[in-house]
Amino acid sequence: MNKQDKTNKIDHKLVMQELKENPYKKLNLAFSLMVVVPFLVFFYLLTSRFFTIGILIGNTGFILATAFFISLCGFYIAYSILKNIFSKILAYAAQAKHSDQLKSTFVATVSHELKNPLSSIKINIYNIFAGFIGQVNEEQKNVLGLCQSTIERMARLINGLLDLHKIEAGVIDLKRNRLNLAEISEKQIKELQILADKKNIKIIKEFLDESLSVWGDEDKLSQAIVNLLSNGIKFTPENGTVTLKIYPDDKLVKLECIDTGSGIPDDKIGMLFNKFERLNATKEGTGLGLAITKDIVEMHRGKILVESQVGQGSKFIVVLPRDLRLVKR
Amino acid sequence: MQEKAAKKILIVEDEKELMLGLATLFKSQGYLIIAAYDSLFGISSAHKEKPDLIILDLGLPAGGGLYVLENLKNSVETFDIPVLVLTAQQGIDLEEKVKQMGAIAYFHKPFDPELLLNKIKSILNISSKA
Repeated sequence: MNKQDKTNKIDHKLVMQELKENPYKKLNLAFSLMVVVPFLVFFYLLTSRFFTIGILIGNTGFILATAFFISLCGFYIAYSILKNIFSKILAYAAQAKHSDQLKSTFVATVSHELKNPLSSIKINIYNIFAGFIGQVNEEQKNVLGLCQSTIERMARLINGLLDLHKIEAGVIDLKRNRLNLAEISEKQIKELQILADKKNIKIIKEFLDESLSVWGDEDKLSQAIVNLLSNGIKFTPENGTVTLKIYPDDKLVKLECIDTGSGIPDDKIGMLFNKFERLNATKEGTGLGLAITKDIVEMHRGKILVESQVGQGSKFIVVLPRDLRLVKR
Repeated sequence: MQEKAAKKILIVEDEKELMLGLATLFKSQGYLIIAAYDSLFGISSAHKEKPDLIILDLGLPAGGGLYVLENLKNSVETFDIPVLVLTAQQGIDLEEKVKQMGAIAYFHKPFDPELLLNKIKSILNISSKA
């Protein structure tokens, strides 16, 4: 047995422990039934239809016995083949699961280990900046300010990575409640108003039905709305507009975030939701916002679409089911 | 006029650089600092020094922050000392859990020093009035 096979065997055991029941039991049971049923039929025919066990004697008996033996061999061979396939499927599943777990542990550990030193740097720079350690002149303050904004960017990047990892590893449990989309959007708009005011950007609300509600996690959906709105504000030049539309569409709810920014070229739209993809590197960002938004929308069994024209602006459309019971898994 | 005694803050944190930063920050506001670098030393310092506030990290050697919190809240001598948790750990409902265990506030690293300071001032003002 080579090393790979040994690893596979260990992986099966791990997967079976996680499944809390042995999948081989089901395979064995299925095969036992497959063997028992023809046996019963055979004896039923023998005893009730042929009325005699004389059929087992002589040439007919030999043929029957041979047929029976061949069928048993057939069953055994089929069982071995299926068991082999079954084992391979289990091994692949185990490998995939373990590599996912490894990746998740790695990201969580790295992010955690980065946060501690980052906190130390942040607080010590703040202490210098605030003059707690000694007098600081304006020029030094400017440099320290730059360090502070870099630290903030790093913190956002780490948090983004962690959010993404949690969503992808499936460790986030959605706390679903019936949410009023207009209400939670209103809150997020208020939070971003200062950012918009800095660029004199007008945030327009077009809520066609203020009572529209969906089943969802308030924190997560708020995060998705904030990501879309802040993206819109970021890529819209001064004096532009960002419109947030919410309207019903049959059994769906549509949320549109329309900006008057520079738009996205067709060939780049496909890359928008990729992690670390920053189409405009001059703008501040981690390149994770849209990837997280897409994951959140998909967790709610929704979809996110983009329409954009260069020079005109972009439209992000989030489609969510109003009632999850109507969505086929 | 009798000078009001400075409030004592116990910091239980294993990262020396962060401890230095926190100590400088709190000293600048006139607080007295007691430093503990692990869980056991944190518990014993809390009993010995009776601080007005404890800043507690969760990822600590020798037991961990949750163990310290549980211990402090189960002791008649320390159960009424407000505990503020600082952590880099991510966990589902971790904040809810530590608050249920008796922590008064929860800050996630990297935290905003100004917000932390304001929170500490409000906790210490409330506890001095009580």
